[in-house]
Amino acid sequence: MLPVEMTVNGERRRGAVDARRTLADYLREECALTGTHLGCEHGVCGACTVLLDGEAVRACLMFAVQADGAAVTTIEGLGGPDGALSPVQDAFREEHGLQCGFCTPGFVVSVTALLQENPKPSETEIREALSGNLCRCTGYQGIIGAVKRAADAR
Amino acid sequence: MSTSTAGRFVGQSVKRREDPRLVTGHGRYVDDVVLPGMLHCTFVRSDVARGRIVRVDTEAAVALDGVTAVLTAADLNPHAGEMQPTLLLATPGAPLRPLADGDVRFVGEPIVLIIASSRYVAEDAADLVEVEIDTDPAVIDVEHALDEGVPIVHPELGTNLGAEMEFPIAPELEALLAGDNVVRRTFRQHRHTPVPMETRGVVVEYEPSVGELHAWMSTQNPHEAKQAMARVTGVPAHLVRVEGHDVGGGFGQKFFTPREELTVTLAARRLGRTLKWIEDRRENLIASNHARADVAECTFALDADGRLLGTYIDHIEDAGAFPVGATGGAGALVGLLFTGPYKCALASLRTRAVWTNTCGRGAYRGPWMFETVAREQMVDAAARQIGMDPLEWRRRNVIPTAELPYTLPTGLPLDMVSPSETLEQAAEIIGYDAFRAEQRRVFTEEGRLLGIGLGLYVEPSTGMMDPMGTETAVVRVNPNGQVTVALGTGAHGQGIETTMAQVVAEELGIEYDDVTIVQGDSAVTAYGRGTGGSGTAVIAGNSCRNACAVVRAKAIEIAAHVMEAAPDDLEIVDARIAVRGTPTRSVAWSEVARIAHLETARLPEGMEVGLEATATFKAPPFSWSNACHACTVEIDRATGVVSILRYVVSEDCGVMINPMIVEGQVAGGVVQGIGGTLYEHFVYDDDGNPLTTTFMDYLLPTATEVPTIEYGHVETPSPTPGGHKGMGEGGAIGSPPAIFNAVADALALVGAIIDRTPLTPDTILDAIETQA
Amino acid sequence: MKPAPFEYHAPETIDEVTGLLAEHGDEAKVLAGGQSLVPMLALRLTRFEHLVDVNRVAALAGFARENGTLVVRACTRQRVMERDPAIAAAVPLLARATPLIGHFQIRNRGTVGGSLAHADPASEYPAVAVALGAELELASPGGARRRLAADDFFVGTWTTAAEPDELLVAARFPVWPARSGFAIEEVARRHGDFALAGVACAITDGRAGIALFGVGSTPVRVRAAEEAWLAGAPAAEVAESAVRDLDPPADVHASGSTRTRIARHLVERAVTRAQEGQRVAG
Repeated sequence: MLPVEMTVNGERRRGAVDARRTLADYLREECALTGTHLGCEHGVCGACTVLLDGEAVRACLMFAVQADGAAVTTIEGLGGPDGALSPVQDAFREEHGLQCGFCTPGFVVSVTALLQENPKPSETEIREALSGNLCRCTGYQGIIGAVKRAADAR
Repeated sequence: MSTSTAGRFVGQSVKRREDPRLVTGHGRYVDDVVLPGMLHCTFVRSDVARGRIVRVDTEAAVALDGVTAVLTAADLNPHAGEMQPTLLLATPGAPLRPLADGDVRFVGEPIVLIIASSRYVAEDAADLVEVEIDTDPAVIDVEHALDEGVPIVHPELGTNLGAEMEFPIAPELEALLAGDNVVRRTFRQHRHTPVPMETRGVVVEYEPSVGELHAWMSTQNPHEAKQAMARVTGVPAHLVRVEGHDVGGGFGQKFFTPREELTVTLAARRLGRTLKWIEDRRENLIASNHARADVAECTFALDADGRLLGTYIDHIEDAGAFPVGATGGAGALVGLLFTGPYKCALASLRTRAVWTNTCGRGAYRGPWMFETVAREQMVDAAARQIGMDPLEWRRRNVIPTAELPYTLPTGLPLDMVSPSETLEQAAEIIGYDAFRAEQRRVFTEEGRLLGIGLGLYVEPSTGMMDPMGTETAVVRVNPNGQVTVALGTGAHGQGIETTMAQVVAEELGIEYDDVTIVQGDSAVTAYGRGTGGSGTAVIAGNSCRNACAVVRAKAIEIAAHVMEAAPDDLEIVDARIAVRGTPTRSVAWSEVARIAHLETARLPEGMEVGLEATATFKAPPFSWSNACHACTVEIDRATGVVSILRYVVSEDCGVMINPMIVEGQVAGGVVQGIGGTLYEHFVYDDDGNPLTTTFMDYLLPTATEVPTIEYGHVETPSPTPGGHKGMGEGGAIGSPPAIFNAVADALALVGAIIDRTPLTPDTILDAIETQA
Repeated sequence: MKPAPFEYHAPETIDEVTGLLAEHGDEAKVLAGGQSLVPMLALRLTRFEHLVDVNRVAALAGFARENGTLVVRACTRQRVMERDPAIAAAVPLLARATPLIGHFQIRNRGTVGGSLAHADPASEYPAVAVALGAELELASPGGARRRLAADDFFVGTWTTAAEPDELLVAARFPVWPARSGFAIEEVARRHGDFALAGVACAITDGRAGIALFGVGSTPVRVRAAEEAWLAGAPAAEVAESAVRDLDPPADVHASGSTRTRIARHLVERAVTRAQEGQRVAG
């Protein structure tokens, strides 16, 4: 077991992990932050996307021990107090950007990162930025609408 | 016909109640369930398509730290009850079994179940299990599986023919089919698979001292799971509880209760331990039910004006080794619905379901959609053969609304549909004639290949198959007037907590925010059909309506008694029960609820205390929906890449409960069709080894591959009380042939012909090269 | 889908890394961005007793301009290639190739050196390195360094000329003259997928580079086509020359002949675009 210390959604977490424990499993099992979902565990679907020091990354493609010293933000860390939705979360609801909701945390995290870097993306930029997240329900139409709405709301 | 029936809530794009928890990461999916003492499972699976198990050595796995049990067929199979779903208890099917016993029948078949302290350790143990299999030749090519001398997939059955249905050919039809004016084509649809973003999974707790079995499962159908788990374990059904909570998509794959869930449940029962199995993506791709995989030779007989006189379809579906749910059920409907929305007097068919040493077939969004694929592709082929535009062919042959009801040549009664209207609407929105002109121009001037395709269909959601046609709603009014509704559904993305609350609020005249839907839990809901087969709006919706009618009548009776008015003079408006025309004489809905529960002395004499009702709705044999898909594409002649330029759906699902959700369902279905036609292909090699076992190889469409979908709506109310129709599957039914036809239309500019999917660069470039 | 156990090392210097590689030999694997390695570990397609994580080696991060060379240290994230204007100014092809790699979440973590050392024949950076004539700098235990031409570095699918105890520490991209043109073109099944076929090319006065990817076991430098291009042959002829000896592998995504056909088209397009770029630059 290796010691690991990181900041998760603003809280400092200390623990010990097996080297092979992925960051995604650490967040889900040790931190009980089950909003980070595992859709493929080989880095394609994007459901496990989290912010690592502010940048969107696949939590299934990192070992928890590699996040030692880092600040991690999960889907649970994006909303406001008392369940208030972030602008991106709210836009997903307004535009019907989710159905089963399983891929949604990864999309919301990715879109949050996208809009931080590019607050007014074109439709082409939106689609390219979303192409690293798979959704099987919406046909992406509502998700693209949600990104536009969240960008307009900024 | 296209009248607006929007009410206060029904017909409104109400924002979904499910969303706040899901967008914040607070949904509860099966992998989020953690119980005390819970152990983790994995399977050792066959890497051989067909062979005899010579040796299974589990010694090293058993010895590994953290391993609780390593189970083989000998440990579980003798204790297993029936594994077929309720729907098929009387139907012979594949000889289902928990773990492979003696032989293996497809790559991915479970041989050993490992139970350990974590999934990590379980997989370590799986690596230590030694399985020796003597490989035998496998049956992979479904088109030759019935040939002489081909091995038999299931020796117990003695044949690779799983199911067959054949209609006699009337002499008039026989004469037509032998005539000169026929179009004959063979179309092949490749194998793909549903791929919900959440894989399957189950957590099962069995407490021997109590004898109760409690499962959390990713399921579309908690009551079916409960029945199936009771059958396989022998635990009495009333001691089994299945909860679904949030379910990350299903598309048919989670409608029945598959083998792995039943095997883990049986193991939990045998060991008295709490077990979790979460399917990983590779397992999902290789061993969760596959779909499509059809081939049919189709014949159209036409008159001199291109009118359809008779059809014949000879269809084979690849059932795989262990189908989940029906064997050959899809094929029967492929045959029965083949003529679809077109006038045709004569039809005959043969459909066969055939066993192969591949992953079993199962339900996937529009399980019999090959009827539309084959027919609509035939329509374009026929039109092309006789030199008629495919839109004109459809106009000539589509059943006019004035001629409804219309009996299909296979005997099915078609009514309350609008194929002609949706055809015209889709053609208008996409600008069919203008596109034709543009297509000619860019081909002549620039040599570019543009194409346009249509896909027209009628789809029955049916109440014929018990128990899939019935739902029961329990509508309970709390003492403060707020309402809790219990449904046996298994929502997995449809927004049932929203739409059914809209229906109930509308029916009771109360606020949407005062209605809560409870579902996805067998213990607190009445036995029901689950969620699938485009059934919820019609079946669950009308069960809600029926229960609301009883509740409303009682509430009005109480109000009438309290106000000393005649019940017939009362109506419910904005959560008050008022004398019609005299809104000042009224009593609040909440007051009536309070009286019913807490001031029972004020109830009419003899009236039962409380305010709730349980009501059932049994769907009619057929309620039809319909749609027309239209799309335009461009083919890059140099690379074989297909780009979709525009995509239009004109649909008629009757009265829409929530247009936002309807359009979301359509878009999702269309994109699955785009994926299925252009990208997704589950590939086996000749020995039955799967070659597309990860998301690097099994390609789902992403946001960069899909167009913006444009919608048109036509509203023909169904004959059921709410006027709704099924619409969850349609997007995936109309899109594959629309895309295929658009690509075929573009290729026809250079004389190239396609007859199979997927439409990959290989297929396109080969077609162009063959012609050149 | 969980990785098998391994021992984790997080050295902070290049010497420590090469020391660990020397100590553990074939049982050790360098972990950089992990975007290709971790999926293979999770799928248990490969396993190593020791993973040597180089993400904490400060000397492997960042890039620098050294006279006529852009030195990109191995653990520099791909996103830096995409975003930093200094990269686009020095080696435009590197900046243009990067958005074609996977998705932005992958590029946030993926490294330049990781992609080169992984040597997937369908990936972009190896072809860019070959087309531009880059050198790859390797460190050995004890601190010795050597440089290999990209041409010589890629020897097969997922195989390079680096010794098991050598670490790729930097890629040295020559900065081409101002009057140069560049292009990279690829066709993938979906946006972000590995290319069915692709080409990276560059041209300036007296020098041309064309490297194909996705069509062989390594990036394929097509010298005859380069010469034809320099000699002023039309793009179609350059393209024909480029694919003449190709024998691409087939897989579930495309046949060999499809890859060849696509490659021919892409070379024609890329060569045309690069020439236009050169004209504009001049």
